[in-house]
Amino acid sequence: MISFLLMVNKQGQTRLSSYYEWLPMEERVALESEIIRKCLSRSELQCSFLEYRGYKVIYRRYASLFFIVGTKPDLGQPENNENELGMLEFIHALVETMDRWAGSICELDIMYQLEQVHFLLDEMVQNGYITETSKGNILKPLDLMEREAQKADSMYR
Amino acid sequence: MATGGVNLSKEFFELLKAIGESKSKQEEDRIIAKEVVRLKQKLETPQSGGMGSPAATNQLLTSKKRAKEFLVRLLYVEMLGHDGSFGYIKAVEMAASSSLFHKRTGYLVCSACLSPEHEFRFMLVNQMQRDLQSSNVLEICGGVLAATALITEDMVPAVSGEVMKLIAHDSDTVRKKVIIALHRFHQLAPETVTREDLVEKLRKVLCDRDPSVMGSSLNVIEALAAEDATVFKDLIPSLVSILKQIGEHRLPSDYDYHRVPAPWIQMKIVRILGIVGKADAAASSGMYEILMDCMTKADVGVNAGYAVVYECVKTIATIYPNPKLLDAAGEAISRFIRSRSHNLKYLGVTGLAMIVEGNPQYAAQHQLVVMDCLEDPDETLQRKTLDLLYRMTNPVNVEFITERILEFLRGSTDLFLKNVLTKRVCSVAERYAPNNAWYIRTITQLFEVSGDMVKQEVAQNLMTLIAEGTGDSEEADMLLRQNAVELYVGLLRDKPGTATKLPRILLETIAWVLGEYGYLSAVCTLDDVLKELCALASVKARLPNSTRKFMLSAVFKLVSQAGTCPPHAATVIDEYTRSKDTDLQQRCLEFQTLLTTAPQILSQVFPVDASAEDLAVDPNLSFLNGYVQQAIANGARPYEKPEDDDDDDDFMDESATNKGSGFKMTPYEKPQTPAAAMAAMRGMGGATPSMPGVSLPPGAGYGASTAPVQANTGAPGAVQLNTRNVANVWGKPQAAAAAPAPPPPAATSNAFASPGASSFGASSTGTNPYLAAAGMSSAPAPPPEPPKTAEQLEKERKAAALFGGMIPGAAPPPPAPASAMSAAAARAAASGATPVAAPAPPPPPAPAPAVEIDLLDMSAWDTPAPAPPPAAAGIDIFAAAPLPAAAPAAPPQVETVSDDEEEAPAGGLAAPAAPAPVPPPNPIDNLDPFAAEGLLGDVQDAPLASLSMGTQKFEFNGVPLGPLEITTAQFGQQWGSCPAVAPLEVQSSKVTTLNAFMDVCSNVGAYKVESIVSTNEGICAGMIGGTHVVLIHGKVSPGGMGAKLNVTVKSTDPSVTGPLAMYMQTLLR
Repeated sequence: MISFLLMVNKQGQTRLSSYYEWLPMEERVALESEIIRKCLSRSELQCSFLEYRGYKVIYRRYASLFFIVGTKPDLGQPENNENELGMLEFIHALVETMDRWAGSICELDIMYQLEQVHFLLDEMVQNGYITETSKGNILKPLDLMEREAQKADSMYR
Repeated sequence: MATGGVNLSKEFFELLKAIGESKSKQEEDRIIAKEVVRLKQKLETPQSGGMGSPAATNQLLTSKKRAKEFLVRLLYVEMLGHDGSFGYIKAVEMAASSSLFHKRTGYLVCSACLSPEHEFRFMLVNQMQRDLQSSNVLEICGGVLAATALITEDMVPAVSGEVMKLIAHDSDTVRKKVIIALHRFHQLAPETVTREDLVEKLRKVLCDRDPSVMGSSLNVIEALAAEDATVFKDLIPSLVSILKQIGEHRLPSDYDYHRVPAPWIQMKIVRILGIVGKADAAASSGMYEILMDCMTKADVGVNAGYAVVYECVKTIATIYPNPKLLDAAGEAISRFIRSRSHNLKYLGVTGLAMIVEGNPQYAAQHQLVVMDCLEDPDETLQRKTLDLLYRMTNPVNVEFITERILEFLRGSTDLFLKNVLTKRVCSVAERYAPNNAWYIRTITQLFEVSGDMVKQEVAQNLMTLIAEGTGDSEEADMLLRQNAVELYVGLLRDKPGTATKLPRILLETIAWVLGEYGYLSAVCTLDDVLKELCALASVKARLPNSTRKFMLSAVFKLVSQAGTCPPHAATVIDEYTRSKDTDLQQRCLEFQTLLTTAPQILSQVFPVDASAEDLAVDPNLSFLNGYVQQAIANGARPYEKPEDDDDDDDFMDESATNKGSGFKMTPYEKPQTPAAAMAAMRGMGGATPSMPGVSLPPGAGYGASTAPVQANTGAPGAVQLNTRNVANVWGKPQAAAAAPAPPPPAATSNAFASPGASSFGASSTGTNPYLAAAGMSSAPAPPPEPPKTAEQLEKERKAAALFGGMIPGAAPPPPAPASAMSAAAARAAASGATPVAAPAPPPPPAPAPAVEIDLLDMSAWDTPAPAPPPAAAGIDIFAAAPLPAAAPAAPPQVETVSDDEEEAPAGGLAAPAAPAPVPPPNPIDNLDPFAAEGLLGDVQDAPLASLSMGTQKFEFNGVPLGPLEITTAQFGQQWGSCPAVAPLEVQSSKVTTLNAFMDVCSNVGAYKVESIVSTNEGICAGMIGGTHVVLIHGKVSPGGMGAKLNVTVKSTDPSVTGPLAMYMQTLLR
């Protein structure tokens, strides 16, 4: 299962972090900075997977932003059966979905709409499992929320 | 489009700009620290509103917006590693907001920031309940998501009912979230949302009309099936049908990803198929076709497709094998592994590792690529390649592979990885060691690289090996010891001044070996060795006390061997007489006293090369009788046993069964050593002799320690303390009455009396019989080039070394490491994978693998009719080892076995893979363990048959399994504490009733504890050598042609379970 999903830029600054397994803040900070350092130390030619403290980490770089997914064995299971390539493509599916949602997405877009990116992610990953990969289905609830919000806004105008 | 985020306040905008532009973590920290101050201020001064009515509405709107913004800013603070707990309450408030965005933001901040113990989580329960009952789909979704992320065990009952109802909700968006949420509840509180509930729901949800809901349920099915797949076996046709429909593009095109239909759903289904089809031929046969189909269809040249193909490969390697599919998987792997993309190469190597274990032929064609991967700068790829290597290790390539892993270990800093690799080196070295010298070298290297991660048993085994040698010949053993000594002396000399930084386990091993065998060194004198040790032992060196004790013991031994105490040794010993550690202090003072008052007895206190000798202990301390009598005669008061008071409970715990007759406390039951104590005793530091009834606690016995010599000389009716092959860490046998005695035999207490200290001269013989023997052993067939030289050659040669024994057509690898390594091999029995029961040479005192011991035993065993107490049995066996011809047929068999050594099964992998000494059962003559191997030659069957009718007691390294009379309750207690387990499932046509099974157990030597007729279960208990408890549980399920027997063998000694399970299997079948 997915243990955490991070978006970190190449200066090592976290742009989004979502943990599906509770970690205290100090550990999160340490984990994020170590993983991004590891990712940065790897060249484009090397494979997109690495192992870190028992996590199987899959990462993908888009311009200056790294999308990093850490996976762990399912609760109570000894082996991590995650399909690395499958997860790598899932990252891309996430980026494609974000693109469709906000035009061409960039680091700043994520920063300005942090909570919404979280909502989008919530539609795709729940409790560490991939629940939805159809872009239409992912974006539908977000559109609905948007519309309701506008309705509410207009009531005060 | 997304506009909810725009319309930011200027402050927030500035904040994001600053964070975005900050160049360093420090700068970012400063910005956030300022932000924290600002947010706290905001919290304290609530928005002032109400200036005028038009402005008021505006104010309302903005304040709501600002409140949400406040939370997002808080989220930033937390995300960037600062404490935002001051504002959590706002998030909880916001979750109650009527606006969806606000509500979701509130929940979001709560899920991201509130730790599972945080009490605010409880404050959200009400709100969640309300949202779950809402009529608005989006609110329900928010509630379900929040419940998944925020619920804790205690809160599950409060919401599970509502969520349960929602599984039938009209909206697919809700249903797909609900099933995951229910699974989460099940993870947290399995008694509230039971597995059965969940399985029942899953069956419905899997057939949901909406593909997303179905896809989401697959996650849960996979997780539950991984725990227990049986209930899902009947879902195979449904899963196959779904997979088929997806393959035919029946899903809406929105599920396509890069032209591959729903790749993640496909992967999930394939993975589930792998789980339910694992080791189940019937279940697997139903999925062969679809897997082939799925793999072909997915192969469209994009990554998503490859991911599906890879998943198929994994499943094919897991399920019941099908040659056609395996070939297809092999084909896919070879395309991956030859790909330019490192990601695909990675998949290739990983896939190969999965498939190669049972099917080594698939690796052969990729030799060169694998070598490339091993040298690839990409660390991940290297790791995976090492993983592959580990799985394809065989006796031919073990040296090469071990070296590679060690090399990698040296460069690695990842503790997790180091731990895994260390275990692997141990396991590989024990299973496949070509000879003992190599084993010692390798384990020493391992100690050096990752000493802190090696289990203590490994060091124990190593020392036992050095102390005992192989039993082949005294010269070989001496040479082995000498090699070890030179190795360690070299190690110390290479690191002048820094040797104390070596891992503790290595230092202790070095100290012991040099103390025992330092005199064997050809490169340096005893005095040099002593100097090295003194330097190490010096007070200034920062070492743990346990290591210092090892060092000092070694110094004592060397000093007494040298006959004089050189000044540096005297200084060190003197230093420690002032040590804070009383034990150390006492040892040194005692030694000093001995040295000054009675130097002539030093050689008796510290005899040379006697660590494997038996030693005599007088538990009654009868040698003191004269002294006591005299004292009493002089008017001293006779000793009175003190009342048992609570104060010494601690001490009693440790020495419950210890402390000879004088101090025996009645409340304690029979002198059987509890399992926990056994484990403790196995360590070398606090060593205790493994003697039933009489043994000394680690630190005890010091009162008597001033009389070690008497213990030796004046022990008339002394109980024979059999320490067998014990690696005697603390001083010498006789001293053991005083000093904490030698450690118990290593995990595999070999029935082995060490050849005495007689023939040191042998080591100086010019020829090298040991190596010759080793060379012989590995060359029954012309082997491929020896791996050792191959390393120096180029890659092809390396590859040859690596793939030796794997390529079917290539030179046949030597079948097995032969007798030279039998000691190491016997140790490997722990892992249940003794490389071909290497027959020991004729001379009796050999660490004989269990096979021969069976025979030895049967002969030696028939004579003493009633089962003697375990310890006595052990001693008897040694005494009787040369076979006092009790059963006339047995001795020739032993001979036969050792002579026919070359007949051991050939074929690189097959040989070592044969897991245990007992050869595969032969259906016809199932009681004859040798018939199958054809080793018997012309030895007639008659004696064996007759033997088989009688007792068939199981023996482990010459020590028979004796009955252990315990109650069911005691059995239950022991059961949990036995670390080693060997399950066994046998389809038997012979043993079909519980009684028959119990009889078999009883024949094996175990005591029938209880048979439960109603459930057809029985339990038996036995004991080996008075130390290792063996527990057997069996269940007989009649049916079909015979009965299915489910047997579990447990023991305190991991090396016993495997052989015993195999032995029982042959008897039961």
